[in-house]
Amino acid sequence: MSEHHKETFITKYIFSLDHKMIAKQFLITGMFMGVVGMTLSLLFRLQLSNPGESFAVLEFFLGEKWAPGGVLDPNMYLALVTMHGTILVFWVLTAGLTGTFANFLIPLQIGARDMASGFMNMLSYWFFFAATVVLLSSLYVETGPASAGWTIYPPLSALPQAIPGSGLGQDLWLIAMTLFVVSSLLGGLNYIVTILNLRTKGMTMMRLPLTIWALLIVAILGVLSFPVLLSCSLLLIFDRSFGTSFYLSDIIIGGEALHNTGGSPILFEHLFWFLGHPEVYIILLPALGIVSEVISVNSRKPIFGYKAMVGALLVIALLSFVVWGHHMFLTGMDPFLGSVFTFTTLLIAIPSAVKVFNYLATLWRANIRFTPAMLFAIGFVSTFITGGLTGIILGDSALDINVHDTYFVTGHFHIVMGVSAIYGMMAGVYHWFPKMYGRMMNKKLGYFHFWVTFISAYGVFFPMHFLGLAGLPRRYYTNSAFPMFDELTNINEIITFFAIIGGLVQLLFIFNFFYSIFKGTKATENPWKSNTLEWTTPVERIHGNWPGEIPTVERWAYDYSKPDADDDFIPQTVPLKKGEIEH
Amino acid sequence: MEISLIKNKASKQLLWIGIGSIVMFFAGLTSAYIVRKAEGNWLEFDMPLWFTISTICVIASSATLWFALQNIKENKSATIFLIATLAIGLTFTFSQVQGWDDLVAKGVYLTGEGSNPSGSFIYVISLAHLLHLIGGLIALTITTLKSKLNHYSKDNYLGIELISIYWHFIGLLWLYLFLFFSYS
Amino acid sequence: MTGILIGLIIAVSLIVLVQLLRVNELISQVKNEDPNLVNDEDNNTQGILAFSIMGVLFLASVLWQFKYWGIHILPPASSIHGATIDTLMRVTLALILFVFFITQPILAWFTLKYRGNSKRKAYYFVHNNKLELAWTIIPSLVLTPLIIYGLNVWNDITNTDTSNSKVIELYAKQFNWTARYSGDDNTLGKANFKLVEGLNELGVNMNDENAGDDIITREVHLVVGEPVLLKMRSQDVIHSAFLPHFRVQMNCVPGMITQFGFTPTQTTAEMKNQEGDDFEFVLLCNKICGAAHYNMKMKVIVESQDDYDAWIYSQKTLKNTLTVK
Repeated sequence: MSEHHKETFITKYIFSLDHKMIAKQFLITGMFMGVVGMTLSLLFRLQLSNPGESFAVLEFFLGEKWAPGGVLDPNMYLALVTMHGTILVFWVLTAGLTGTFANFLIPLQIGARDMASGFMNMLSYWFFFAATVVLLSSLYVETGPASAGWTIYPPLSALPQAIPGSGLGQDLWLIAMTLFVVSSLLGGLNYIVTILNLRTKGMTMMRLPLTIWALLIVAILGVLSFPVLLSCSLLLIFDRSFGTSFYLSDIIIGGEALHNTGGSPILFEHLFWFLGHPEVYIILLPALGIVSEVISVNSRKPIFGYKAMVGALLVIALLSFVVWGHHMFLTGMDPFLGSVFTFTTLLIAIPSAVKVFNYLATLWRANIRFTPAMLFAIGFVSTFITGGLTGIILGDSALDINVHDTYFVTGHFHIVMGVSAIYGMMAGVYHWFPKMYGRMMNKKLGYFHFWVTFISAYGVFFPMHFLGLAGLPRRYYTNSAFPMFDELTNINEIITFFAIIGGLVQLLFIFNFFYSIFKGTKATENPWKSNTLEWTTPVERIHGNWPGEIPTVERWAYDYSKPDADDDFIPQTVPLKKGEIEH
Repeated sequence: MEISLIKNKASKQLLWIGIGSIVMFFAGLTSAYIVRKAEGNWLEFDMPLWFTISTICVIASSATLWFALQNIKENKSATIFLIATLAIGLTFTFSQVQGWDDLVAKGVYLTGEGSNPSGSFIYVISLAHLLHLIGGLIALTITTLKSKLNHYSKDNYLGIELISIYWHFIGLLWLYLFLFFSYS
Repeated sequence: MTGILIGLIIAVSLIVLVQLLRVNELISQVKNEDPNLVNDEDNNTQGILAFSIMGVLFLASVLWQFKYWGIHILPPASSIHGATIDTLMRVTLALILFVFFITQPILAWFTLKYRGNSKRKAYYFVHNNKLELAWTIIPSLVLTPLIIYGLNVWNDITNTDTSNSKVIELYAKQFNWTARYSGDDNTLGKANFKLVEGLNELGVNMNDENAGDDIITREVHLVVGEPVLLKMRSQDVIHSAFLPHFRVQMNCVPGMITQFGFTPTQTTAEMKNQEGDDFEFVLLCNKICGAAHYNMKMKVIVESQDDYDAWIYSQKTLKNTLTVK
């Protein structure tokens, strides 16, 4: 069975087929992109709190062209917003989150030696890497990177005359996104097939840890929705480069009437959001899975309502395909259609509520061990509640008239899928770091990192709801053009203040991460006293995960603090005692 | 033995899920077509005759490939049928290009002044389909070479099975697209 | 020079940080336990910290924000349907704040109450169908009336009878707005983007008999209490007409005509009395449209019928503008 070929530096670290190494490649690329995306956001936050002021740091990063005299150029402002969104949504929270934990956890938690196809897995990473290079290169294009928002609505994204970023920058964006979709599809196919086929003996579907359930559903969502993004951008590419009129109609730009007639920009929005909304859940579900696992382990309690948790994940995933219209209430769509989308959208509140209450029930009468991972998981529950609740306002078509495209939206989705997913990712990194690198991350730095992040994340995004309800539109280069927004200036200053603090503390996390890889205290095989299979593998990473036979699974993953047991955890490999009921 | 069974099952599953993904891609394109058509300003025209020939090619090539699979199951050589499939596949490609020429002759253009999304859609969707078919042709070429080199036998014909599934799917996809364009 | 200084500071703080971590780990090596595993003392401090920050500090800051920033939210609605939206908004806000102020304190309280202790064992609680059913059904029961209420408001707004409304066109382009009044016949003349030329900046088809009396303006004047129907077009990219005070928003899409009907209820003069002299109604763009997106605005004035009449008579009809060379 075991094919022990010698690993050279190149096969071990670069073109590795080992799922654990590929996971680390995804993680570190994701973290790097996270720093880039965050830096971009801090640059435009400076402009928002101090419009028109000169900052040396802006000139340092953007150069004389985009920040003449240290003052941000309005086109560059939109480019920064666009790139920040694209990087965070796709590069960090899709590839960085799913790519890392699907690759790392799926074989380890289901008891497989590796993914179904190691080669496809490697290909998936290198497509992602190529996409990263292309996307970053667009930052250095003369006309600037894509600037039409991460949703790239045409005609703005189709016409270089409308905004300079829609020239070469947008082309590179589309190429990067195509590579990215290929990477996601290769990865997704692999995850599904691995989970369905390579489970070890005894690992039935209802014994799977919730992380694996979440990752399976995410992979299915991705495989079904990313191709639609591809078809949507294919038509856009034809419009941009070959003069077709799928999305363009009746346009005069730069004083010139275009020949295009009969196209419909709304068509683009439909296709885009058919991916775009499932994409939101592609981001959120892995975090939900990770948090379920981390909360259960560190509460020393079984996750409450396992079946309901799986059911809720499935329902959320299904609903995510029929709610895309809530992004388009104000596009002049048929009001009746708007009603339907309001209805389906608000239905999502029900499975989400089930998840929240199940988390609370898991914490009830627990014996909580506050690892940094656990803190991030609890932080996730808090942001998931806050962000989920404001979703009830945005999902309601009548209320959306007032807050659509205002800072209320920005606050809502940053809390519910931005911060929440980042918390899920952080929880995962802190929790599985000992398994990834055989060492522990520094606990005290972890605590500090969490509390500063928690305070500054709410400090940044909670006030945005007030801005939005005051009518302040998002994606404005400055709010000073309207006297009615002058009284909101101090809120913007507070937001930027917290954004800088929150950004700086992430550097501390990165320091902790790399310091611990080399100098952290040595981890034991199962430092968190956890039940799942990955903690039965040796500390030293080996190709094939287990030195001997793959362990057999005898029980579900959540036997913590079971009465009559000697310890407060029973690994999945321990057979049921005589007369013991599974759960 | 068991491992090869799992590999067998996993490869087919991989292919089927991949097919699901391709279905979504074309579902996206054709639903865009429907949505766009409902908005009016739509140029109606007949399908070129060459597209009917394409359809015949698709059916014929599926038949030859089916014979190839039957042969290998009976431990006979599949090479000749694979070559036939390859040839008909190439004819399909040719007929598609001819079909586009027909469209141009009718005044239905992909782009530019006087083009209409109804025409553009036909070009883009059939091109996207053709690219998928060319992927199939490449896989088919490799399978044919392997068959020629006697890589396959009664106990080992996964390669032919996989290309069959894909090829029939691509054929069905064309059939769907052809009927869709003709009658929607 | 500053660059070197900043670099120096970063280097020194890194060294200090590394040394602190080393010392911390050396001490624990002497104690013979992994300092990065969690002990009861950590559980204690973190549990208390969690309650103080998540339960007290965070919730207090939310209250603080409502106290000091609450005055900014929902500026007075100056249209009939705007008031109904605001009521719906207040009901929904009250509901979600209610849920927020129940669930967040529970979360914070649990973190404190059940903070870990090596002598204790958690309660093995796998599932409970009644409980799970309860928190599936209760949210559904709460949501149902909210959905119905919301949909009713939505239907009232989108299905208003606009047959008696004054028709005004809003024409968006990078980066300004133009309005076109439909004139005495209350019907807008047909337009086509290919006809945009010179003074005919909206591409109105002058052969259309409804076109001659149309009036192009740079401000929107509305009569208080009189229903209007806004029809939106765009010349280049997607824009969005957002009139926050009237709770009106609708995208302007090239190649399409979208519309929104409403009735203003307060004049600019009345609002100036209430809100201060610098108050103005505005129309702004709320869909990313290019470099000057942030500055794409038009003044909106609501006034009495007499004032409106005086203003509209002073404007030139299209027939006059386009024929007088």
